[in-house]
Amino acid sequence: MPVAAEGFPTVARDYFELFQLPVEFDLDLDDLAGRFRVLQRKFHPDRFASQGIGERRAAAQLSADINSGYRVLCDPVARAGFMLERVGCDLKALEREPVDGGFLMRQIELREALRAPGSSAAEPRAQAVAEAKALMEAALAGFRAAIGEDDLTAAGGFYVQLLYLKKLNAEVAVTSEPV
Amino acid sequence: MVLLQIAEPGAAPEHTAERKLALGIDLGTTNSLVAYVENGAVVVLRDEEGSACLPSVVHYGAEGVLVGKPAEALALAAPKDTIASAKRYLGRDEAEMGETDYVDLEAGRLAFVTSQGSVTPVEVAAALLQALRERAEAAVSLPISGVVITVPAYFDDAQRLATRQAAELSGLNVLRLLNEPTSAAIAYGLDSREEGVIAVYDLGGGTFDISILRLERGVFEVLATGGDSALGGDDFDKQLVALLTEEGGLGKLDPSQARQLLQKARAAKEALTDANEVTVALDSVVPGTASVTVSRELFNERCAPLVERSLDACRQCLADAGVAGVDQVVLVGGSTRMPIISKVVGEVFGRKPLDSIDPDQVVAMGAARQADLLVGNRDAEDLLLLDVIPLSLGVETYGGLVERIVPRNTTIPVARAQEFTTARDGQTGLVVHVVQGEREQVGDCRSLATFELNGIPPMVAGAARIEVTFRVDADGLLEVAAREATTNAVAHVVVKPAFGLDDDEIAAMLRAGYEHAADDMRARQLTEARVEAEQLIAGIESALAADGDLLDEKERHQLQAAMTQLGAAAEGADIERLREAIEVTGEASATLAARRMDRSIKDALGGVAVAALAGDSEL
Repeated sequence: MPVAAEGFPTVARDYFELFQLPVEFDLDLDDLAGRFRVLQRKFHPDRFASQGIGERRAAAQLSADINSGYRVLCDPVARAGFMLERVGCDLKALEREPVDGGFLMRQIELREALRAPGSSAAEPRAQAVAEAKALMEAALAGFRAAIGEDDLTAAGGFYVQLLYLKKLNAEVAVTSEPV
Repeated sequence: MVLLQIAEPGAAPEHTAERKLALGIDLGTTNSLVAYVENGAVVVLRDEEGSACLPSVVHYGAEGVLVGKPAEALALAAPKDTIASAKRYLGRDEAEMGETDYVDLEAGRLAFVTSQGSVTPVEVAAALLQALRERAEAAVSLPISGVVITVPAYFDDAQRLATRQAAELSGLNVLRLLNEPTSAAIAYGLDSREEGVIAVYDLGGGTFDISILRLERGVFEVLATGGDSALGGDDFDKQLVALLTEEGGLGKLDPSQARQLLQKARAAKEALTDANEVTVALDSVVPGTASVTVSRELFNERCAPLVERSLDACRQCLADAGVAGVDQVVLVGGSTRMPIISKVVGEVFGRKPLDSIDPDQVVAMGAARQADLLVGNRDAEDLLLLDVIPLSLGVETYGGLVERIVPRNTTIPVARAQEFTTARDGQTGLVVHVVQGEREQVGDCRSLATFELNGIPPMVAGAARIEVTFRVDADGLLEVAAREATTNAVAHVVVKPAFGLDDDEIAAMLRAGYEHAADDMRARQLTEARVEAEQLIAGIESALAADGDLLDEKERHQLQAAMTQLGAAAEGADIERLREAIEVTGEASATLAARRMDRSIKDALGGVAVAALAGDSEL
């Protein structure tokens, strides 16, 4: 029976290079979508359907990489993780590092505020939603600054915060859905 | 309009001049169709009587096999020998289908018992494909280069594989399996050329699909797809059968009477499309029974739970797609002719549904477009399709839980790896159980395959590192590989359902086919393989001439050796050896192909502003 393992393989392809983008945290999503379309138009296996096996195989792999790269670069949290991975950080190890107790406590409180029965219209919920969003913005800004200065320790810390905040904000989306 | 054909740099330039024939096939539960593109227009092929729909019915009687209308005509007289709606059984096993009186449980897999012996759903589908192939060959003089076959978007891996097997059995080269709603969207998208978000509501005879797509700058991107692979027009017929049985006070019917009643119900359903009420005479089914009048209102009421099931899937799909609304709604499938469907779908999406293309033909038409494009006809529409995987893929992990590796609605092709480790000290083997579905418990998902990885060196629990890689190709078909990182022990499987046909069975069936068709089929296949070998060698030689520097001495030597072998095999008449050599040489050339593609990434994105580039290609 398999058990999820420790550690993860290092990056197989540099997505910034694939999309011919500078290695910077900020990117223009419309420009990225344009690059994605250009690359897929050229390298999708459908473009090689009547060619040899070698071309078809290579196109399938490249097209899969383009899809993965697009997915990772589109999402700021995944992009942050990738930026750390590509300079050799072990994300799994990072996730095991102790997290600031105050930060964790606040996460739990916010989650409870979001989940409280009948909270969908209540004032505490609205505050929690706003705070979840603000915390996300702050952590993204923190990561941007840290990675810009090559401070991997600080960037790693912000990345772990981002993982928690992504879950928290997903909770916002789920709990606000009309039934 | 005839355009000058200009080969794209880097693409194989040799064969652009000749026009190739590629077919689009809608292999439906109730009806099947075939279409192709001629002079830029889609032609839906018809039978001698002018009908485009081939009833998806095959009759296996003592006197022979009949397909389509003649088979349908025998449905009442010989219900057991006449297989309809076989698509519902493709890639399924008997446990999933429940009790059916014509299923051969002794065969160890789902098969129908007929006067011609036990027949699998794959063979029934192959017989239908064969009939469509003959229809095309009679109409068009060109040889068929390949086909695009449509499948419900919600088809899982086993169902897709079964469809591919059916094509293989009927001797067709499958260019691509295409999702039915996507195919319909292509037909409409190319028709209207309007960019934006399109929802496709596809209610066929046996399956329901909902897809949401975005068309932007010539790229068709499927944002989300969903549906119910066991919901279709047949279920509406059943509601009507139940209603007629109740109202008419009918008791237990024999198979022939049941078929007759079903035909009555179907006719009544179709009549209710235009009429507000219909009177069904039941005297011919069971003598002495009074006629029953059914109003559209009553019919709608009885079918409301079915309609609601489809709408739930629509709402989920909208949420998955992450769009607030859609610009267009397209109706596909004969069952969408029911007025209630058009009404409620319009309400859910807030748009009046489009139905300008015949809902029975639109899927085959889109498939024909895609086939024309894939076969490389230069004047084909310049459109790229990005589809998604409809159901999540994962493996069984501790406690019967599913560890999801590829979530549903991920754009394909996709390659994803996940690491696992051993649970016990000294564990040397590992069983990987691959499942598909959205539930957390393995028992609630569909089991696709189980394979073993052996030869892991004994280590303490948690020390081994086993990487499981999932690859899903553009057809939505899965390949799984597992590798132990410290020893490189490798297990590699193309996922095959235990209850489908295995390669040996397919080969045996094909051989049986050759015997009937004498040697000419084999001769033709040998010629085709030789042409393929020639093209492969020519392609590699031109690639080497242009970018030979991308390979080192050893790699170049290996590739040359493979090509020499291939050349020798092409001289001989051993088709198996030739196919093997094509495979080996093709594999050997993948490295060069990949590096050439990498080299051209810069050209694709370099220099010109990307936004302009993306827009340019529309010209």
